[in-house]
Amino acid sequence: MNTLDEALLAAHLAGDNETLVGLYRAAGEAVLARDEVQGCFYLTHAYVFALEAGMAEAEELRAVLVARGREA
Amino acid sequence: MTTANSDLSDVMQPVARAKGLPNAHYIDPAAFDEERKSVLFANWSGVGFAKDVPNEGDAMPVDFLGVPLLILRDHDGAVRVYQNTCRHRGMILVDEPRNIRGTIRCPYHSWCYGLDGQLRSTPHVGGPGQNIHEDIKRNELGLFEMRSHVWLGVVFVNVSAAAPDFDVVHADLIARWSEFDKPLYHSGADSSFKLDVACNWKLAVENYCESYHLPWVHPGLNSYSRLEDHYNIEENGRYSGQGTLVYRQLEGEDGKVFPDFEGVSDKWDTGAEYITVFPNVLLGVHRDHTFAIVLEPKEQGKTQEHVEIFYATEAAIGDGFSATRAKNTAQWEEVFKEDIFVVEGMQRGRLGPLFDGGKFSPAMDGATHVFHEWVAQSLSAGRQIAAE
Repeated sequence: MNTLDEALLAAHLAGDNETLVGLYRAAGEAVLARDEVQGCFYLTHAYVFALEAGMAEAEELRAVLVARGREA
Repeated sequence: MTTANSDLSDVMQPVARAKGLPNAHYIDPAAFDEERKSVLFANWSGVGFAKDVPNEGDAMPVDFLGVPLLILRDHDGAVRVYQNTCRHRGMILVDEPRNIRGTIRCPYHSWCYGLDGQLRSTPHVGGPGQNIHEDIKRNELGLFEMRSHVWLGVVFVNVSAAAPDFDVVHADLIARWSEFDKPLYHSGADSSFKLDVACNWKLAVENYCESYHLPWVHPGLNSYSRLEDHYNIEENGRYSGQGTLVYRQLEGEDGKVFPDFEGVSDKWDTGAEYITVFPNVLLGVHRDHTFAIVLEPKEQGKTQEHVEIFYATEAAIGDGFSATRAKNTAQWEEVFKEDIFVVEGMQRGRLGPLFDGGKFSPAMDGATHVFHEWVAQSLSAGRQIAAE
């Protein structure tokens, strides 16, 4: 298991939305240019956890997904 | 035993000739099921307390007769009640009381709902990373909101959504007690307790409504609050209960009494009233505090009583009154516990097949009869709807 997977699992177990948003966002942005599906998959997770936690970052993430026709 | 043909005609006679509800309505699961729908869901029932969701985003799941509800405080500070069920696969959304910081995220596929019930996100609903789909219309898939109303700290719900508005149904009672329809203050665990009783929920109502039993069951109260100091409250088709003319404020060790409700009139100097908001909420009002008991019917012979005591001012819930509050809670708990053997005894008595609903005292049992007649009317209305 790589470091990202371990960090994600730990954050999921802890219910740590802020960390989850950061990790998923970084993962999404890292692959978005070469793999839109994979990038938007990760960004969706970042968006959902930001939305759940009431983080202002949710709007930025939503805008990225809306621009690609993947969120309303 | 079945209730399909239970005869309610005797119940609806004037009190002098009436009988109580037939035994089946206390001991038969089929009758319990009929009342669940025709009495408790068709009317405005108490399901919880607004004080349990004090802050924006506080969410409290409640099971009301098998219906999963979510009591929630929204962004505007209003209490809302939703069905605690995701519109996608029917998953329970919130399992434990907690604060929702942003949205309610379903733990199954992460559909997210705002505090206003709107569906905000449907991740991967159109495939990986694709969160929209032409057939998923979010504006049609918000949480199911139940009709709800908060009065005197109690959250009422009309599950059937067919009853007239709460403030129309209970206009008279709201006017009667307008002096207490003010902010209420609750101090937490020291003003809260639950009692599990082995009886049908209606027996708790019936016992609460009448003062006839006071000298026999509550001799401690009778030392200052004699039977002749009480009056019956009988409002046919609306509510019933009892009042006292000799309420005496509790004093702390230092002789201090709880502060009064602001502007409370002289009528309440030594007056207090105890009324059932049909079907399942028992309320008491006094110049310095109120209480509410939400009866949670568990099954035909099991009820949980959720008791909460509220005060008139913020000062009353402060440290200066903690010992007096403890005394007040203990006093009420003792009174309500004294009632347990009678409600449980009446439950067991109804296993006797020769009991015919009972003979009312026209002078003393009118409040109980008003309740029975109201229940019978609700049942009749439910049967009429079922027959159409």
